[in-house]
Amino acid sequence: MAGRFLKYAFIALLLFPFAFLLMLSFGRGWGYPHVFPEQWTLENWRFILESQAGLGHSVLLSLLVSLGVAVPVTLASFWVSRAVSYSPYRRRWLVLAYLPYVLAPVVLAACLQAFFFRGGLSGKVWGVMAAQLFITFPYGVIFFSGFWNRRMQAMEQLVATLGGSRAQAYIRVLIPVAREALMTCFFQIFLISWFEYGLTTLIGVGKVQTLTLKVFQYVNEANIFLAALAGCLLVLPPVVLLWLNRRYVFSGAGGR
Amino acid sequence: MLLHAVDITKRYGREDVLRAAGLHLQSGEMLSILGRSGSGKTTLLKILAGLEAPDSGQVFLEGRDISGLPPNLRGIVYLYQEPLLFPHLNVFENIAFGLRLRHLPRQDVNARVTQLLDNLELPGHAGKMPHQLSGGQRQRVAFGRALAVQPKVLLLDEPFGALDAETRASMQVLLQQITRQYGITGIFVTHGIKEAIVVGSRIALMRDGGLKAYETIQAFIDDPTTGVRDEMDFWKGLS
Repeated sequence: MAGRFLKYAFIALLLFPFAFLLMLSFGRGWGYPHVFPEQWTLENWRFILESQAGLGHSVLLSLLVSLGVAVPVTLASFWVSRAVSYSPYRRRWLVLAYLPYVLAPVVLAACLQAFFFRGGLSGKVWGVMAAQLFITFPYGVIFFSGFWNRRMQAMEQLVATLGGSRAQAYIRVLIPVAREALMTCFFQIFLISWFEYGLTTLIGVGKVQTLTLKVFQYVNEANIFLAALAGCLLVLPPVVLLWLNRRYVFSGAGGR
Repeated sequence: MLLHAVDITKRYGREDVLRAAGLHLQSGEMLSILGRSGSGKTTLLKILAGLEAPDSGQVFLEGRDISGLPPNLRGIVYLYQEPLLFPHLNVFENIAFGLRLRHLPRQDVNARVTQLLDNLELPGHAGKMPHQLSGGQRQRVAFGRALAVQPKVLLLDEPFGALDAETRASMQVLLQQITRQYGITGIFVTHGIKEAIVVGSRIALMRDGGLKAYETIQAFIDDPTTGVRDEMDFWKGLS
Protein backbone atom coordinates (compact mmCIF):
# COMPACT_ATOMS: atom_id res chain seq x y z
CA MET A 1 0.00 0.00 0.00
CA ALA A 2 2.75 2.40 1.07
CA GLY A 3 4.76 1.30 -1.94
CA ARG A 4 1.92 2.09 -4.29
CA PHE A 5 1.39 5.47 -2.64
CA LEU A 6 5.07 6.30 -3.02
CA LYS A 7 4.98 5.21 -6.66
CA TYR A 8 2.04 7.46 -7.48
CA ALA A 9 3.52 10.30 -5.43
CA PHE A 10 6.71 9.99 -7.43
CA ILE A 11 4.84 10.00 -10.74
CA ALA A 12 2.78 13.00 -9.61
CA LEU A 13 5.96 14.80 -8.59
CA LEU A 14 7.47 14.15 -12.03
CA LEU A 15 4.37 15.23 -13.92
CA PHE A 16 3.52 18.26 -11.80
CA PRO A 17 5.84 20.76 -13.55
CA PHE A 18 4.48 19.76 -16.96
CA ALA A 19 0.85 19.87 -15.80
CA PHE A 20 1.51 23.22 -14.18
CA LEU A 21 3.06 24.63 -17.36
CA LEU A 22 0.11 23.37 -19.39
CA MET A 23 -2.33 24.98 -16.97
CA LEU A 24 -0.51 28.30 -17.05
CA SER A 25 -0.45 28.27 -20.86
CA PHE A 26 -4.29 28.53 -20.83
CA GLY A 27 -4.34 31.23 -18.15
CA ARG A 28 -4.53 35.00 -17.97
CA GLY A 29 -4.36 37.27 -14.94
CA TRP A 30 -3.03 35.48 -11.92
CA GLY A 31 -2.81 37.66 -8.88
CA TYR A 32 -2.53 37.05 -5.18
CA PRO A 33 -4.35 35.36 -3.40
CA HIS A 34 -5.85 33.30 -6.27
CA VAL A 35 -4.70 29.70 -6.45
CA PHE A 36 -5.43 29.46 -10.18
CA PRO A 37 -5.38 32.07 -12.97
CA GLU A 38 -8.44 34.31 -13.00
CA GLN A 39 -9.21 33.72 -16.68
CA TRP A 40 -8.96 30.67 -18.91
CA THR A 41 -8.35 31.39 -22.58
CA LEU A 42 -7.02 29.95 -25.84
CA GLU A 43 -5.53 33.32 -26.74
CA ASN A 44 -2.01 32.28 -25.80
CA TRP A 45 -2.18 29.25 -28.08
CA ARG A 46 -3.74 31.32 -30.87
CA PHE A 47 -0.66 33.51 -30.58
CA ILE A 48 1.42 30.66 -31.98
CA LEU A 49 -0.42 30.77 -35.27
CA GLU A 50 -1.29 34.44 -35.63
CA SER A 51 1.71 36.48 -34.59
CA GLN A 52 4.41 36.88 -37.21
CA ALA A 53 7.11 37.08 -34.60
CA GLY A 54 5.31 34.43 -32.52
CA LEU A 55 6.12 31.00 -31.33
CA GLY A 56 5.06 29.08 -34.47
CA HIS A 57 8.05 30.48 -36.32
CA SER A 58 10.35 29.65 -33.41
CA VAL A 59 9.06 26.07 -33.23
CA LEU A 60 9.76 25.53 -36.94
CA LEU A 61 13.14 27.25 -36.67
CA SER A 62 14.13 25.12 -33.67
CA LEU A 63 13.07 21.97 -35.50
CA LEU A 64 15.06 23.03 -38.57
CA VAL A 65 18.18 23.77 -36.51
CA SER A 66 17.96 20.64 -34.33
CA LEU A 67 17.20 18.25 -37.19
CA GLY A 68 19.77 20.00 -39.38
CA VAL A 69 22.38 19.42 -36.69
CA ALA A 70 21.32 16.00 -35.35
CA VAL A 71 21.01 14.12 -38.66
CA PRO A 72 24.38 15.01 -40.25
CA VAL A 73 26.24 14.96 -36.93
CA THR A 74 24.94 11.48 -36.05
CA LEU A 75 25.98 10.08 -39.44
CA ALA A 76 29.30 11.93 -39.65
CA SER A 77 30.33 11.16 -36.08
CA PHE A 78 29.48 7.47 -36.60
CA TRP A 79 31.86 7.40 -39.55
CA VAL A 80 34.60 9.60 -38.07
CA SER A 81 34.46 7.79 -34.73
CA ARG A 82 35.38 4.57 -36.55
CA ALA A 83 38.53 6.19 -37.93
CA VAL A 84 39.38 7.61 -34.50
CA SER A 85 38.75 4.34 -32.67
CA TYR A 86 40.91 2.24 -35.00
CA SER A 87 43.67 4.84 -35.17
CA PRO A 88 46.93 4.07 -33.34
CA TYR A 89 46.47 7.55 -31.80
CA ARG A 90 42.97 6.82 -30.53
CA ARG A 91 43.57 8.23 -27.07
CA ARG A 92 45.01 11.50 -28.35
CA TRP A 93 42.08 12.05 -30.73
CA LEU A 94 39.60 11.38 -27.97
CA VAL A 95 41.33 13.84 -25.63
CA LEU A 96 40.96 16.43 -28.41
CA ALA A 97 37.28 15.55 -28.72
CA TYR A 98 36.79 16.40 -25.03
CA LEU A 99 38.40 19.85 -25.41
CA PRO A 100 35.21 21.78 -26.36
CA TYR A 101 33.70 20.71 -23.02
CA VAL A 102 36.50 22.29 -21.04
CA LEU A 103 34.86 25.64 -21.81
CA ALA A 104 31.27 26.62 -21.07
CA PRO A 105 29.26 26.95 -24.32
CA VAL A 106 28.98 30.72 -23.82
CA VAL A 107 32.75 31.08 -23.44
CA LEU A 108 33.25 28.87 -26.49
CA ALA A 109 30.81 31.06 -28.41
CA ALA A 110 32.67 34.20 -27.33
CA CYS A 111 35.89 32.65 -28.65
CA LEU A 112 34.26 31.76 -31.95
CA GLN A 113 32.22 34.92 -32.41
CA ALA A 114 34.91 36.96 -34.19
CA PHE A 115 35.50 34.20 -36.73
CA PHE A 116 31.79 33.77 -37.37
CA PHE A 117 31.38 37.52 -37.76
CA ARG A 118 34.19 37.71 -40.31
CA GLY A 119 32.79 34.65 -42.12
CA GLY A 120 29.39 36.33 -42.45
CA LEU A 121 27.76 33.59 -40.37
CA SER A 122 26.86 35.75 -37.40
CA GLY A 123 23.11 36.20 -37.02
CA LYS A 124 22.38 33.46 -39.59
CA VAL A 125 20.60 30.15 -39.07
CA TRP A 126 23.49 28.40 -40.85
CA GLY A 127 25.88 30.14 -38.48
CA VAL A 128 24.05 28.84 -35.41
CA MET A 129 23.96 25.34 -36.88
CA ALA A 130 27.69 25.52 -37.67
CA ALA A 131 28.43 26.79 -34.15
CA GLN A 132 26.46 23.93 -32.60
CA LEU A 133 28.66 21.49 -34.49
CA PHE A 134 31.51 22.51 -32.20
CA ILE A 135 29.79 20.86 -29.26
CA THR A 136 27.63 18.19 -30.89
CA PHE A 137 30.16 16.65 -33.28
CA PRO A 138 32.79 15.83 -30.61
CA TYR A 139 29.97 14.48 -28.46
CA GLY A 140 28.95 12.12 -31.30
CA VAL A 141 32.54 10.98 -31.80
CA ILE A 142 32.93 10.25 -28.08
CA PHE A 143 29.53 8.55 -27.99
CA PHE A 144 30.38 6.09 -30.78
CA SER A 145 33.95 5.45 -29.63
CA GLY A 146 32.59 2.68 -27.38
CA PHE A 147 30.78 1.07 -30.29
CA TRP A 148 33.86 0.58 -32.44
CA ASN A 149 35.57 -2.21 -30.56
CA ARG A 150 37.54 -5.31 -31.54
CA ARG A 151 34.35 -7.28 -32.05
CA MET A 152 32.98 -4.74 -34.54
CA GLN A 153 36.33 -4.65 -36.31
CA ALA A 154 36.31 -8.45 -36.52
CA MET A 155 32.76 -8.39 -37.90
CA GLU A 156 33.77 -5.87 -40.53
CA GLN A 157 36.76 -8.01 -41.51
CA LEU A 158 34.54 -11.07 -41.66
CA VAL A 159 32.21 -9.31 -44.11
CA ALA A 160 35.27 -8.47 -46.23
CA THR A 161 36.52 -12.07 -46.36
CA LEU A 162 32.98 -13.22 -47.21
CA GLY A 163 33.26 -11.00 -50.29
CA GLY A 164 31.61 -7.81 -49.10
CA SER A 165 32.79 -4.29 -49.89
CA ARG A 166 33.15 -1.55 -47.26
CA ALA A 167 29.77 -0.12 -48.32
CA GLN A 168 28.11 -3.54 -48.00
CA ALA A 169 29.63 -3.95 -44.54
CA TYR A 170 28.07 -0.64 -43.49
CA ILE A 171 24.66 -1.22 -45.07
CA ARG A 172 24.18 -4.88 -44.21
CA VAL A 173 25.92 -5.19 -40.85
CA LEU A 174 27.37 -2.14 -39.13
CA ILE A 175 24.37 0.19 -39.44
CA PRO A 176 21.78 -2.48 -38.51
CA VAL A 177 23.90 -3.56 -35.53
CA ALA A 178 24.37 0.09 -34.51
CA ARG A 179 20.67 0.95 -34.94
CA GLU A 180 20.02 1.49 -31.23
CA ALA A 181 23.23 3.46 -30.76
CA LEU A 182 22.46 5.61 -33.81
CA MET A 183 18.95 6.36 -32.58
CA THR A 184 20.16 7.18 -29.09
CA CYS A 185 22.92 9.44 -30.42
CA PHE A 186 20.47 11.20 -32.75
CA PHE A 187 18.07 11.68 -29.85
CA GLN A 188 20.74 13.11 -27.55
CA ILE A 189 22.24 15.44 -30.16
CA PHE A 190 18.77 16.64 -31.05
CA LEU A 191 18.21 17.48 -27.38
CA ILE A 192 21.58 19.23 -27.02
CA SER A 193 20.75 21.38 -30.04
CA TRP A 194 17.11 21.88 -29.03
CA PHE A 195 17.96 23.24 -25.58
CA GLU A 196 21.15 25.08 -26.63
CA TYR A 197 21.16 28.66 -25.36
CA GLY A 198 24.65 30.18 -25.00
CA LEU A 199 26.04 29.54 -28.48
CA THR A 200 22.71 30.32 -30.15
CA THR A 201 22.39 33.64 -28.34
CA LEU A 202 25.89 34.86 -29.13
CA ILE A 203 26.29 33.53 -32.67
CA GLY A 204 22.65 34.23 -33.54
CA VAL A 205 23.00 37.81 -32.13
CA GLY A 206 19.29 37.83 -31.33
CA LYS A 207 18.27 37.26 -34.94
CA VAL A 208 17.93 33.50 -34.69
CA GLN A 209 15.08 33.16 -32.22
CA THR A 210 14.85 29.48 -31.35
CA LEU A 211 12.19 28.28 -28.95
CA THR A 212 14.66 28.03 -26.07
CA LEU A 213 15.61 31.69 -26.57
CA LYS A 214 11.91 32.61 -26.66
CA VAL A 215 11.30 30.95 -23.31
CA PHE A 216 14.10 32.97 -21.74
CA GLN A 217 12.81 36.11 -23.44
CA TYR A 218 9.31 35.64 -21.99
CA VAL A 219 10.73 34.80 -18.58
CA ASN A 220 12.81 38.00 -18.68
CA GLU A 221 9.70 39.95 -19.65
CA ALA A 222 7.86 38.33 -16.71
CA ASN A 223 5.27 37.05 -19.21
CA ILE A 224 4.61 33.84 -17.32
CA PHE A 225 1.72 32.67 -19.54
CA LEU A 226 3.64 32.87 -22.82
CA ALA A 227 6.73 31.49 -21.06
CA ALA A 228 4.61 28.54 -19.90
CA LEU A 229 3.24 28.07 -23.40
CA ALA A 230 6.73 28.18 -24.91
CA GLY A 231 7.84 25.75 -22.20
CA CYS A 232 5.06 23.35 -23.22
CA LEU A 233 6.19 23.53 -26.82
CA LEU A 234 9.78 23.11 -25.74
CA VAL A 235 9.19 19.79 -24.01
CA LEU A 236 6.90 18.39 -26.72
CA PRO A 237 9.51 17.17 -29.26
CA PRO A 238 11.73 15.59 -26.57
CA VAL A 239 8.68 13.78 -25.20
CA VAL A 240 7.79 12.52 -28.70
CA LEU A 241 11.40 11.40 -29.25
CA LEU A 242 11.45 9.71 -25.87
CA TRP A 243 8.29 7.83 -26.74
CA LEU A 244 9.68 6.84 -30.16
CA ASN A 245 12.88 5.66 -28.50
CA ARG A 246 10.99 3.54 -26.01
CA ARG A 247 8.58 2.22 -28.61
CA TYR A 248 10.95 1.42 -31.45
CA VAL A 249 14.46 1.26 -30.06
CA PHE A 250 14.66 -0.12 -26.56
CA SER A 251 11.64 -2.41 -26.94
CA GLY A 252 13.29 -3.96 -30.03
CA ALA A 253 9.94 -3.69 -31.83
CA GLY A 254 11.26 -1.65 -34.67
CA GLY A 255 13.61 -4.17 -36.24
CA ARG A 256 13.62 -7.62 -37.75
CA MET B 1 49.51 -25.96 -55.64
CA LEU B 2 46.51 -23.96 -54.49
CA LEU B 3 48.00 -21.63 -51.88
CA HIS B 4 51.64 -20.67 -51.59
CA ALA B 5 53.13 -18.10 -49.22
CA VAL B 6 56.78 -17.11 -49.53
CA ASP B 7 59.08 -15.34 -47.07
CA ILE B 8 56.37 -13.59 -45.09
CA THR B 9 57.78 -11.23 -42.50
CA LYS B 10 55.92 -9.04 -40.08
CA ARG B 11 57.18 -6.87 -37.27
CA TYR B 12 55.15 -5.09 -34.58
CA GLY B 13 57.29 -2.41 -33.01
CA ARG B 14 60.53 -4.13 -32.06
CA GLU B 15 59.12 -7.62 -32.15
CA ASP B 16 59.59 -9.86 -35.18
CA VAL B 17 56.35 -11.84 -35.28
CA LEU B 18 56.98 -13.58 -38.60
CA ARG B 19 60.44 -14.24 -40.00
CA ALA B 20 60.42 -15.40 -43.59
CA ALA B 21 57.53 -17.75 -42.89
CA GLY B 22 56.30 -19.81 -45.82
CA LEU B 23 53.76 -22.51 -46.54
CA HIS B 24 52.14 -24.38 -49.37
CA LEU B 25 48.75 -25.98 -49.54
CA GLN B 26 47.42 -28.47 -52.05
CA SER B 27 43.80 -28.48 -53.10
CA GLY B 28 41.58 -30.39 -50.64
CA GLU B 29 44.24 -30.30 -47.93
CA MET B 30 43.62 -29.19 -44.34
CA LEU B 31 46.80 -27.95 -42.70
CA SER B 32 46.75 -27.79 -38.91
CA ILE B 33 49.05 -25.17 -37.44
CA LEU B 34 50.15 -25.57 -33.85
CA GLY B 35 51.97 -22.98 -31.84
CA ARG B 36 52.09 -21.14 -28.58
CA SER B 37 50.11 -17.96 -27.92
CA GLY B 38 51.79 -15.00 -29.57
CA SER B 39 53.77 -17.18 -31.96
CA GLY B 40 52.30 -15.39 -34.98
CA LYS B 41 49.65 -17.90 -36.09
CA THR B 42 46.83 -15.36 -36.25
CA THR B 43 49.06 -12.79 -37.95
CA LEU B 44 49.95 -15.32 -40.65
CA LEU B 45 46.29 -16.19 -41.26
CA LYS B 46 45.34 -12.53 -41.42
CA ILE B 47 48.08 -11.87 -43.94
CA LEU B 48 46.86 -14.76 -46.08
CA ALA B 49 43.30 -13.40 -45.88
CA GLY B 50 44.44 -9.88 -46.77
CA LEU B 51 43.39 -8.43 -43.42
CA GLU B 52 46.96 -7.50 -42.52
CA ALA B 53 49.74 -6.38 -44.83
CA PRO B 54 53.08 -8.17 -44.51
CA ASP B 55 56.27 -6.14 -44.28
CA SER B 56 57.64 -8.37 -47.04
CA GLY B 57 56.81 -11.62 -48.79
CA GLN B 58 54.24 -12.80 -51.28
CA VAL B 59 51.06 -14.86 -51.29
CA PHE B 60 50.04 -16.85 -54.37
CA LEU B 61 46.61 -18.37 -54.92
CA GLU B 62 46.23 -20.75 -57.87
CA GLY B 63 49.56 -19.44 -59.12
CA ARG B 64 48.46 -15.80 -59.08
CA ASP B 65 50.11 -13.23 -56.82
CA ILE B 66 47.32 -11.95 -54.57
CA SER B 67 49.57 -9.98 -52.20
CA GLY B 68 48.03 -6.66 -53.22
CA LEU B 69 44.45 -7.90 -53.53
CA PRO B 70 41.86 -6.67 -50.97
CA PRO B 71 40.28 -9.37 -48.77
CA ASN B 72 36.88 -9.24 -50.47
CA LEU B 73 38.43 -10.26 -53.81
CA ARG B 74 40.65 -13.11 -52.60
CA GLY B 75 38.09 -15.88 -52.10
CA ILE B 76 39.67 -16.70 -48.74
CA VAL B 77 37.33 -16.74 -45.74
CA TYR B 78 38.79 -16.16 -42.28
CA LEU B 79 36.86 -17.50 -39.29
CA TYR B 80 37.55 -16.21 -35.80
CA GLN B 81 37.48 -18.06 -32.51
CA GLU B 82 34.16 -16.35 -31.84
CA PRO B 83 31.39 -17.28 -34.28
CA LEU B 84 30.60 -13.57 -34.81
CA LEU B 85 27.08 -14.22 -36.03
CA PHE B 86 25.31 -11.08 -37.14
CA PRO B 87 22.94 -10.40 -34.24
CA HIS B 88 20.23 -8.77 -36.37
CA LEU B 89 19.91 -11.78 -38.72
CA ASN B 90 18.41 -15.21 -38.04
CA VAL B 91 20.27 -18.45 -38.68
CA PHE B 92 19.04 -18.75 -42.28
CA GLU B 93 20.03 -15.19 -43.15
CA ASN B 94 23.38 -15.53 -41.41
CA ILE B 95 24.23 -18.53 -43.59
CA ALA B 96 22.80 -16.80 -46.67
CA PHE B 97 24.78 -13.61 -45.96
CA GLY B 98 27.60 -14.13 -48.46
CA LEU B 99 25.15 -15.28 -51.12
CA ARG B 100 23.04 -12.15 -50.64
CA LEU B 101 26.21 -10.07 -51.11
CA ARG B 102 26.62 -11.77 -54.50
CA HIS B 103 22.96 -11.14 -55.42
CA LEU B 104 22.31 -14.79 -56.19
CA PRO B 105 18.75 -15.77 -57.27
CA ARG B 106 16.44 -16.52 -54.37
CA GLN B 107 15.92 -20.18 -55.36
CA ASP B 108 19.66 -20.81 -55.42
CA VAL B 109 20.10 -19.18 -52.03
CA ASN B 110 17.26 -21.20 -50.53
CA ALA B 111 18.57 -24.46 -51.97
CA ARG B 112 22.15 -23.93 -50.84
CA VAL B 113 21.26 -22.72 -47.34
CA THR B 114 18.72 -25.52 -46.79
CA GLN B 115 21.32 -28.12 -47.79
CA LEU B 116 23.90 -26.58 -45.46
CA LEU B 117 21.40 -26.49 -42.59
CA ASP B 118 20.86 -30.24 -43.10
CA ASN B 119 24.56 -31.03 -43.33
CA LEU B 120 25.33 -28.99 -40.24
CA GLU B 121 22.54 -30.67 -38.26
CA LEU B 122 20.62 -27.41 -37.93
CA PRO B 123 17.40 -28.05 -39.88
CA GLY B 124 15.03 -26.88 -37.15
CA HIS B 125 16.95 -23.73 -36.29
CA ALA B 126 16.63 -21.68 -39.48
CA GLY B 127 14.34 -19.06 -37.94
CA LYS B 128 16.19 -18.70 -34.64
CA MET B 129 18.19 -15.63 -33.70
CA PRO B 130 21.85 -16.05 -32.70
CA HIS B 131 21.19 -15.45 -29.01
CA GLN B 132 18.83 -18.46 -29.00
CA LEU B 133 21.61 -20.87 -29.99
CA SER B 134 24.18 -22.79 -27.97
CA GLY B 135 27.91 -22.21 -28.45
CA GLY B 136 28.30 -25.26 -30.69
CA GLN B 137 25.27 -24.33 -32.80
CA ARG B 138 26.60 -20.81 -33.30
CA GLN B 139 29.92 -22.18 -34.47
CA ARG B 140 28.11 -24.48 -36.92
CA VAL B 141 26.20 -21.52 -38.31
CA ALA B 142 29.51 -19.68 -38.70
CA PHE B 143 30.85 -22.65 -40.70
CA GLY B 144 27.71 -22.69 -42.80
CA ARG B 145 28.06 -18.99 -43.54
CA ALA B 146 31.65 -19.55 -44.67
CA LEU B 147 30.93 -22.72 -46.66
CA ALA B 148 27.96 -21.13 -48.44
CA VAL B 149 30.23 -18.86 -50.45
CA GLN B 150 32.40 -21.85 -51.49
CA PRO B 151 35.74 -20.25 -50.56
CA LYS B 152 38.91 -21.32 -52.30
CA VAL B 153 40.60 -21.47 -48.89
CA LEU B 154 39.05 -21.54 -45.43
CA LEU B 155 41.12 -20.16 -42.55
CA LEU B 156 40.03 -21.30 -39.09
CA ASP B 157 41.62 -19.47 -36.18
CA GLU B 158 41.04 -21.61 -33.08
CA PRO B 159 37.35 -21.99 -33.87
CA PHE B 160 36.68 -24.36 -30.96
CA GLY B 161 38.66 -22.46 -28.35
CA ALA B 162 35.57 -21.25 -26.49
CA LEU B 163 33.67 -24.57 -26.52
CA ASP B 164 33.40 -27.17 -23.77
CA ALA B 165 35.30 -30.45 -24.22
CA GLU B 166 32.31 -32.53 -25.35
CA THR B 167 31.04 -29.99 -27.88
CA ARG B 168 34.57 -29.46 -29.04
CA ALA B 169 35.04 -33.17 -29.77
CA SER B 170 31.79 -33.40 -31.75
CA MET B 171 32.68 -30.21 -33.67
CA GLN B 172 36.06 -31.65 -34.61
CA VAL B 173 34.36 -34.69 -36.14
CA LEU B 174 31.75 -32.55 -37.87
CA LEU B 175 34.40 -30.24 -39.31
CA GLN B 176 36.35 -33.20 -40.60
CA GLN B 177 33.22 -34.61 -42.29
CA ILE B 178 32.17 -31.28 -43.76
CA THR B 179 35.59 -30.37 -45.12
CA ARG B 180 35.83 -33.76 -46.83
CA GLN B 181 32.28 -33.57 -48.15
CA TYR B 182 32.78 -30.10 -49.63
CA GLY B 183 36.42 -30.66 -50.60
CA ILE B 184 37.50 -27.69 -48.52
CA THR B 185 41.09 -26.54 -48.59
CA GLY B 186 42.00 -24.85 -45.37
CA ILE B 187 44.28 -23.97 -42.52
CA PHE B 188 43.27 -24.82 -38.99
CA VAL B 189 45.01 -23.06 -36.12
CA THR B 190 44.87 -24.68 -32.71
CA HIS B 191 46.68 -25.14 -29.41
CA GLY B 192 45.61 -28.78 -29.06
CA ILE B 193 47.84 -31.54 -30.44
CA LYS B 194 44.96 -34.03 -30.56
CA GLU B 195 42.70 -31.50 -32.29
CA ALA B 196 45.42 -30.78 -34.83
CA ILE B 197 45.78 -34.48 -35.64
CA VAL B 198 42.01 -35.13 -35.79
CA VAL B 199 41.20 -32.20 -38.07
CA GLY B 200 44.34 -31.77 -40.18
CA SER B 201 45.56 -33.87 -43.05
CA ARG B 202 48.99 -32.32 -42.48
CA ILE B 203 50.53 -30.51 -39.52
CA ALA B 204 52.85 -27.54 -39.17
CA LEU B 205 54.47 -26.02 -36.13
CA MET B 206 54.86 -22.29 -35.65
CA ARG B 207 57.95 -21.37 -33.70
CA ASP B 208 60.26 -18.33 -33.53
CA GLY B 209 58.37 -16.59 -36.33
CA GLY B 210 58.84 -19.46 -38.75
CA LEU B 211 56.63 -22.32 -39.86
CA LYS B 212 57.88 -25.88 -39.94
CA ALA B 213 55.56 -28.11 -41.94
CA TYR B 214 55.62 -31.91 -41.63
CA GLU B 215 54.88 -33.96 -44.72
CA THR B 216 53.11 -36.65 -42.69
CA ILE B 217 51.50 -36.82 -39.28
CA GLN B 218 53.95 -39.59 -38.36
CA ALA B 219 56.85 -37.24 -39.11
CA PHE B 220 55.29 -34.72 -36.75
CA ILE B 221 54.89 -37.32 -34.01
CA ASP B 222 58.45 -38.54 -34.48
CA ASP B 223 59.99 -35.06 -34.11
CA PRO B 224 61.10 -34.82 -30.45
CA THR B 225 60.80 -31.01 -30.45
CA THR B 226 57.01 -31.10 -30.94
CA GLY B 227 56.36 -32.56 -27.48
CA VAL B 228 53.98 -35.22 -28.85
CA ARG B 229 56.20 -38.08 -27.63
CA ASP B 230 56.28 -36.61 -24.13
CA GLU B 231 52.51 -36.39 -24.08
CA MET B 232 52.10 -39.95 -25.34
CA ASP B 233 54.55 -41.20 -22.70
CA PHE B 234 52.59 -39.31 -20.03
CA TRP B 235 49.31 -41.04 -20.95
CA LYS B 236 51.02 -44.42 -21.31
CA GLY B 237 52.53 -43.93 -17.85
CA LEU B 238 49.09 -43.34 -16.38
CA SER B 239 47.65 -46.51 -17.91
